[in-house]
Amino acid sequence: MKYSYNWLKELSDTKLSQDIVRELLTMHSLEIEGMEEKKWNFDGVVVGKILEIRKHPNADKLQIAIVETQNFASVQKQNLQIVCGAPNIEVGQKVPVALVGTKLPNGIEIKEAEIRGEKSFGMLCALDELGLGADHSGIFILDSKAKIGEPAKKYLGVEDDTIFEIKVLPDRAHDATSHVGVAREISVLENKNFEYDFDGLKLPNKKSKKLIVKIEDRKLCSRYIGAVMENVEIKDSPSWMKQRLEASGIRPINNVVDATNYVMLELGQPMHAFDFSKISGQETRNKKQETNKIQIVVRKAKENEEMELLDETKLKLSDQDLLITNGETPLALAGIMGGKDSGINENTKTIILEAANFDAVNIRRSRTRLGVKTESSDRFEKEIDPNLAEKAIVRIIEVLEHTADAKLEGVIDVYPNKIKPCKIKLDLEYVNSLLGEIIPKKEIIRILNLLGIGTTIQPYKVVCIVPTFRVDLKTQEDLIEEIGRIWGYEKIEPRPLVEPIIPAKINEVLSFERRLGEISVGFGFDEMYNYSFYSEIDAKNCALDNVKHFELSSPMNPDQKYVRVSLIPNILKNIKTNLKNFESLNIFEIGKVYLCHPELVSGSGFRNEFRMTGTEEKRMFVMAQVLEKDPVNFAEAKHGASKNAETFYSIKGATENLLEKISVDENSISFNEVKLSKNHLAHAGRSAEILVDGEKIGMIGEINPLVLGKYKIGKRVAVCELDTEKLLKISQKELVYKALQKFPTITRDISMLAKGETKAIEIQKLIKKIGGDLVLNVSMFDVFFKDGVTSFAYHIEFGAPERTLENKEVDEVMGKIVAGLEKELGLEIRK
Amino acid sequence: MLKEKIENLKKQFLAEIERVKPSDEALFELEKKYTGRKSEFIAILKSLKDLSPEEKKQIGELANNTKNQIWEIIKNKRQEISENSFDAQKEKIDVTIPGKKKSAGHFNPISLVRRDIEDIFVSMGYEIADGPEVETGWYNFDALNIPKDHPARDMQDTFFLDAKDGEEKLSMRSQTSAVQARYMEKNKPPLRIIVPGKCYRREATDTTHDHTFYQFEALIVGENVNVGNLKFTAQEFFSAFFKQNVTVRLRPSYFPFVEPGFEFDISCTVCGGKGCRACKGGGWLEIGGAGMVNQNVFVSAGYPRNKYQGFAWGFGLERLAMMKYKIDDVRLFHGGDLRFVKQF
Repeated sequence: MKYSYNWLKELSDTKLSQDIVRELLTMHSLEIEGMEEKKWNFDGVVVGKILEIRKHPNADKLQIAIVETQNFASVQKQNLQIVCGAPNIEVGQKVPVALVGTKLPNGIEIKEAEIRGEKSFGMLCALDELGLGADHSGIFILDSKAKIGEPAKKYLGVEDDTIFEIKVLPDRAHDATSHVGVAREISVLENKNFEYDFDGLKLPNKKSKKLIVKIEDRKLCSRYIGAVMENVEIKDSPSWMKQRLEASGIRPINNVVDATNYVMLELGQPMHAFDFSKISGQETRNKKQETNKIQIVVRKAKENEEMELLDETKLKLSDQDLLITNGETPLALAGIMGGKDSGINENTKTIILEAANFDAVNIRRSRTRLGVKTESSDRFEKEIDPNLAEKAIVRIIEVLEHTADAKLEGVIDVYPNKIKPCKIKLDLEYVNSLLGEIIPKKEIIRILNLLGIGTTIQPYKVVCIVPTFRVDLKTQEDLIEEIGRIWGYEKIEPRPLVEPIIPAKINEVLSFERRLGEISVGFGFDEMYNYSFYSEIDAKNCALDNVKHFELSSPMNPDQKYVRVSLIPNILKNIKTNLKNFESLNIFEIGKVYLCHPELVSGSGFRNEFRMTGTEEKRMFVMAQVLEKDPVNFAEAKHGASKNAETFYSIKGATENLLEKISVDENSISFNEVKLSKNHLAHAGRSAEILVDGEKIGMIGEINPLVLGKYKIGKRVAVCELDTEKLLKISQKELVYKALQKFPTITRDISMLAKGETKAIEIQKLIKKIGGDLVLNVSMFDVFFKDGVTSFAYHIEFGAPERTLENKEVDEVMGKIVAGLEKELGLEIRK
Repeated sequence: MLKEKIENLKKQFLAEIERVKPSDEALFELEKKYTGRKSEFIAILKSLKDLSPEEKKQIGELANNTKNQIWEIIKNKRQEISENSFDAQKEKIDVTIPGKKKSAGHFNPISLVRRDIEDIFVSMGYEIADGPEVETGWYNFDALNIPKDHPARDMQDTFFLDAKDGEEKLSMRSQTSAVQARYMEKNKPPLRIIVPGKCYRREATDTTHDHTFYQFEALIVGENVNVGNLKFTAQEFFSAFFKQNVTVRLRPSYFPFVEPGFEFDISCTVCGGKGCRACKGGGWLEIGGAGMVNQNVFVSAGYPRNKYQGFAWGFGLERLAMMKYKIDDVRLFHGGDLRFVKQF
């Protein structure tokens, strides 16, 4: 909210500069987001006296004035001829004259001109031209005592000001969204009693004879004060008031509307003014004895009841919305906005002023449901003190007596359950123990009292009487905060904890994720952080649309509507982005996916950790690779001609390396072919499940070229996707050391040709099976494909634990292996 | 007699090796001549069998020693030759040619900052806790003293998930504080935890705001925890993190889950508080929020009211990373551009 420094200064009577006020408020009270100087700049606008007026020879609506001023530079008297259109000037008047060369606040630059054949050396100014409101009805006439040639500024009733932009958080929204609230803070910080006579604002004992107020729903409207003022003259507000409204960002309208806003800015109470005549005009069915009165009835709307607001919005209401009515038709949407038909206009003579209190939650719900948010609803929904209504009505009556010459006819106050100050017993020991600093009792009392909190001292305790305008102060901790902040947090010394230190438990999953990151980076992979969202189209493109997704109810944009069930769609986007700058990519991401199981929702109530919300968050780890030279060749892919899959084998190698690094036994791992549909995210011919001891821990594979096509990625992408928590469990198995081979080993090479579908793993397994314990290691050192035939070549390492093998023995085993491979797998062994 | 013969042979060898120009061939010849199969030496050794046992021992020892000396000298000569033959200058290379690099990956800077922070806190006895990112209204709001229809629910715009009528609206958690209640339900004080994690707020993105961000939060609960401790801990942490003395300043603020609540600033890490461009002349940098845990939060977690005191404070990891690496656009962290990531 915007606050005028001049206004705060007047209310608090402070002599402190803007900068010091800003610093004090920042450190002790409220966050000041900005400070802006508001300087009126009327350079070049001087006081002139009209010496002569004559008609413009060529234009009916124009006049020519001869004006006496002083030349600014030479301080010499000069008479200027100025063409002017305003009808309100007279000879002898003093007026603001903008000299040639002046740039006015509204942007107009004054130049020597010829208007319909007559020269004009300057301009006589109306208020709007000076940036002082919207009034363009005539030239602004200055005080007759104004000195000719002097800067006009000092006669225009303007004051330079500083505007503070203060961020008021919900705890202080009840009281500090007013100049009085902030001025009170300033007084407290200056250790002064607050000068503003807040307590003196008491309702006059003058009952209205023209008004009846009925509250039907006392829960939603805890108080309603109506004041009838007569003899109202609708006009512009005085300049000082307009300036203050504008300083706070509110456009001046007329003296009555301005007064409601002015009092709201001063005290924080939203107010409303109705045109009395328009209400009585609508009144039709009052009981006989009340026919000369009009009534205000506060009631809930009927379902589908309609009304039109001041701004001409037409609303269809629900039975939860609260209305101000004349007993029949709506006059205002309570606490939010007035109705169109009961508003003030230039003909208004008698008004009803409203200062009321409405239930915060209901206002909030109504304005959300109806989509109407106003200054008034903003304040009411933060809950304000019902006692404030009285202060505000007294203050506005005072104001309108001055600015509209209005007379109070009488007041009606319906306030069934008076709110009383609340009592809090404050334990003095607790103050010190929570703040960690001993604050003298005298200081505590002084601070509380300055804040308007009454105190009664008891042994070790202070009974505090909290004024009703501090809605936020409900607990001891609230009071301790008040004491702490006013006393000064900077005075609290940093102190080491005295709480015992207990060795922290290790968060295994998080430290495992960190380890995965370190390993991946060690292998040359770069880490990606992606959003947890993608679009419906992404889900479709990646063939994930058959998986139930959580959806954001109002995403930032449609591209981020779905909550991810896989890390891969965003990884593909990373690849697309980076292929612009890089030939090859190795990237990884560690993150969660969010699965939605509507069938698992169960339980009721909102506080139950065992309740099933149908959500499952899985921690995933994904590595992806693109090699420099491995483009997707659709023709090859279609015909199955290519068996070279560098990218696949590269990510597979990285995966194997990773599993080795986290101590997964090589023999427990298997990569199993899976049947996938042609449209699956993964390439149906180049994907496998990764199993460890028979349990699936993830997938590995190339991305389906059809999917890559949708992302316009021209190179092959291979991905390994692992379930982090499963991986963690496997990696936690105790590692057992294998004795080192003591005796020399013998290595033999064997190569073979396979037609058809023989798999490497089958060959490897068979070699091990036939060779038994003597085979220590089987490793492939070459493979190539030609004309539908695959050539495999292996090193086989033989050894025995307790002796040196003899060649003869190995020859014998090799013979069996060769025979086995030929017979069982139909391979052709190359000699 | 044999003894003299051996000594003469030795002298002869020594004289000869001084004379010859050292080369591998010459040394080979010498070795052959003096200790080879047909050498005089071997002849002497062969004749030993005719001597008395005493002489055999005496002469045999001498002969062996001498032979070994000859070998030693030849070996040294050979070494000399090979050392002299090596000329480093002939192998001189251009050391400025780029090296053959091992491929090394890179962490996202958030990970780096997070790691540093976690290490500091773990060294101070904090446990790292975490919780779900899809949260229920209870943990994201109610348990944190943000009741339904309270204006504080508007303080951060939350990403709610679509729900059918009558179903509870889940949301992407808007703060890591959601983990507080979850952790406290299961653990009794004294406790000290940190909660790093991904959070979400429905905010328009610009160079300093992103709707997805990483928060970091510390929570200590015990019987005697106070604001002074909060200041101390924060100062210790930031001094360790920035590797310089950092002062912490508290300003009044409001978060529903704490009371009193603070904004905390640290003395500018660029100028040390004197005022510079980084701190806009003020000497302080805004870092995050903090406060003493609201008793209502304890009650929600099942603790008795006013038995415990605790503090919580939190900040954005991106903010620290941006300060540390002088990054000027928060969107880079989630932007997925390797030209960015590869710098770290």
